[in-house]
Amino acid sequence: MVYGTHCPVYFFFVIISFFFFLFPAHPALAADDGYLNALLESAKEKQLSEDRYWEILVHYKRHGSGKKSLIDDPRFFLAPGGKLDPAAELEATIRGFFQQEKGDQEHPRCRFVARYAWLKEKLDIDELRLPPVACTEFNEALARVNPHSAVLVFPATLNNSPASMFGHTLIRIDSKNQNDLLSYAVTYAAVTTDSNGFLYAFKGMFGYYRGYFSILPYYEKVSEYSNIEHRDIWEYQLNLTEEEVRRLVMHVWEVRDIYSDYYFFDENCSFDLLLLLEVARPSLGLTDAFWDNKVRFWVIPVDTIRVIKESGLITTEKYRPSQATRILAIASRMDSGFQKVALDVVNRKTSPQAVTDMDMTSQEKTKILDLTAELLQYKYARKQLGKEEYLKQFLPTLNARSTLGKQSADVYAITPPAPPEQGHLPGKLSFGAGYRTDSFFTEIGWRAAYHDLLDPDEGYTEGAQINFFDISGRYYFKEDSLKLQRLRLIDIVSLSPRDAFFKPVSWKVNTGFDRELFSDGEEHLIYRINPGGGFSYKNDLLGLSYIMIETDLELSGGLKDNYSLGFGASAGIIKKLTGSWKINLSAKSMYYEAGDEHRSMNVSLAQNFKITTNNSITCSLSREKTHDYYQSEVNLSWNVYF
Amino acid sequence: MKKLLVITVLSVLFVFVVSSAFAAAASGMARSNVGCGLGTMLFQNNADQSSLLQAFQATTNGSFGTQTFGLTSGTSECKQPTKFVSNERLNEFVVANMDNLAKDIAMGRGETLDAFADLMQVPSEKRPEFYQKLQSSFASIFTSENVVLANVVDNVAAVSSSN
Repeated sequence: MVYGTHCPVYFFFVIISFFFFLFPAHPALAADDGYLNALLESAKEKQLSEDRYWEILVHYKRHGSGKKSLIDDPRFFLAPGGKLDPAAELEATIRGFFQQEKGDQEHPRCRFVARYAWLKEKLDIDELRLPPVACTEFNEALARVNPHSAVLVFPATLNNSPASMFGHTLIRIDSKNQNDLLSYAVTYAAVTTDSNGFLYAFKGMFGYYRGYFSILPYYEKVSEYSNIEHRDIWEYQLNLTEEEVRRLVMHVWEVRDIYSDYYFFDENCSFDLLLLLEVARPSLGLTDAFWDNKVRFWVIPVDTIRVIKESGLITTEKYRPSQATRILAIASRMDSGFQKVALDVVNRKTSPQAVTDMDMTSQEKTKILDLTAELLQYKYARKQLGKEEYLKQFLPTLNARSTLGKQSADVYAITPPAPPEQGHLPGKLSFGAGYRTDSFFTEIGWRAAYHDLLDPDEGYTEGAQINFFDISGRYYFKEDSLKLQRLRLIDIVSLSPRDAFFKPVSWKVNTGFDRELFSDGEEHLIYRINPGGGFSYKNDLLGLSYIMIETDLELSGGLKDNYSLGFGASAGIIKKLTGSWKINLSAKSMYYEAGDEHRSMNVSLAQNFKITTNNSITCSLSREKTHDYYQSEVNLSWNVYF
Repeated sequence: MKKLLVITVLSVLFVFVVSSAFAAAASGMARSNVGCGLGTMLFQNNADQSSLLQAFQATTNGSFGTQTFGLTSGTSECKQPTKFVSNERLNEFVVANMDNLAKDIAMGRGETLDAFADLMQVPSEKRPEFYQKLQSSFASIFTSENVVLANVVDNVAAVSSSN
């Protein structure tokens, strides 16, 4: 009876063949032309090529008077002109279903599973009259992903990199009754091998990179964000039905290995994920806000979360703290003496075994070893420890830890901060008035994005500033003149506090037009590049304090030799006095030694009062001395975030 | 001469600060430290390189060549466990998460351990006992820092079937 084990399968095939023999499913074997024509006719009648869902599936967007697909890979289209012609693409797709010669996996029915499912339903296609295909690869993939529900995932700001404020979004596909880590995550990303930063930025802005969708085990993404990059993750449960999630996965299958030109600002990761959500639930119209009714030319991930939330898709949100956040949470529940013991173990001054023999409660030992284990992993991920050293400490630490039993679940509980979508909107419009030296002025400012050190911190990372395109103009009453006050193209400050565990470097860089005092005692427009680096610390009394070394290059035709290059230092404190009142006291002294030689010093006190999430008042006082001229300014402005 | 020196120093400082601020962090994430045992990291770290250009990188994030349907991480280079019926998902998970799994087992709780128990198909009512057993047998599961996939899965099987 050895061969008996194969029996059921063969038996099944025998029966199936028998059925085919009895009822020939496709009598016109060389493609059922009559049926094909009937389907094409029916599709025309129903105007399916103009159906919204067809446009979603092929990523068509309005383009002049016609349509154009956002996908650039010719392999995505079955019709030669499919990118611009929805009707031709639809016809080619239906014809494709009748294709005989291609192998299973390349057959249009297996490649374009979502198109097929939709057309099958719309045209009531009789599958038995199509050439038989098995689509085994797709079925295996689908069985493996086993879609049941979906979660929108947003890895939040990287602590020391305000740039990552722009974040990333992905969609997690969950199975029923299974741990989240075992789910799969769908992400859209640019593929690049360039390591030159400028080239990277340039190419990214102008669509020289190719974006691909990918689907990967979620634990890989968690490990990337949480354990390596130390970014907290927000997970938003979506109320998509099983059927909708299944459609989404089918579409991801269609666009796998298919590229679109990637644009950092608009056709980016977050925008393309909105497209996926529309595939799942076509009534959503999420991309319209960003594409058809274009008010902006960029898509910021957190904006897409807001749009998704407004559409009613989000039911609950979950906070997944990163390893760095966990480390600080454990440490905050220990005395500094015990923290030091953990650091000693990490630095191999004490052995993990010695900790278990110390004269302290088992609870204290547990905390020390928990902290040690997390710190070792952290240092290894950051390459501050080699693999050998890491393993030599990590395993004995866990070994010692395993003898101490289990902690209750809430020992290291972390209160989630305000979720990112609850913060102020990234654009800012300011209306201000003030007095400078000898004249009153009014001022209007506009910032494209994203967050200033003074702006309310909810939903953002404290001490992280990134301003893109910040412009302001002033009208001086005394001179009856209108002046461009500043045009900052980019202005980044990253104040990342140092403590017993983390030793980050704080840094800043800004570039753009500013007004500066010249040797003639008048203010003139200059172009500047002003980078700096230093340290910052956090403390309950002073808040966040920092000190930086800076250099500054100023360019202007009015300067001696047309430029001025200086170096100096700045320092300041940023303190939240109440939940909605924040002050920033800062001072800076610069020595310009090359080009136009001069000195410049200033002190300022700026305060921000939050009124509502998207309204605040800023009040600033400053005094500066440049060349030998003193200037004082007081300024009050109302900020509206949009 | 003094002035020339000052200019030189300033220029060097300026270029240094600008270039470090602009340092390209665009290298993407490459797989590294691939292996079957502890210390296997899925991604190379580049999070330390603070730079302006992460503004752009952050929106794109790492990429994995054109591996777009990464349903399997692959354990083909690893020796397979013997005592368990071949379970590729379990093996992949353990290979990719061995450090976190070791940590969770030592601590007696955690998400990685929960996911592991899912893959081992341990019913939820038996988990407290399962976790406790694994924790108290930590040393016999993670026998050395050179422990690999096959050992860990086999050792867990041995521990959980013993009384």
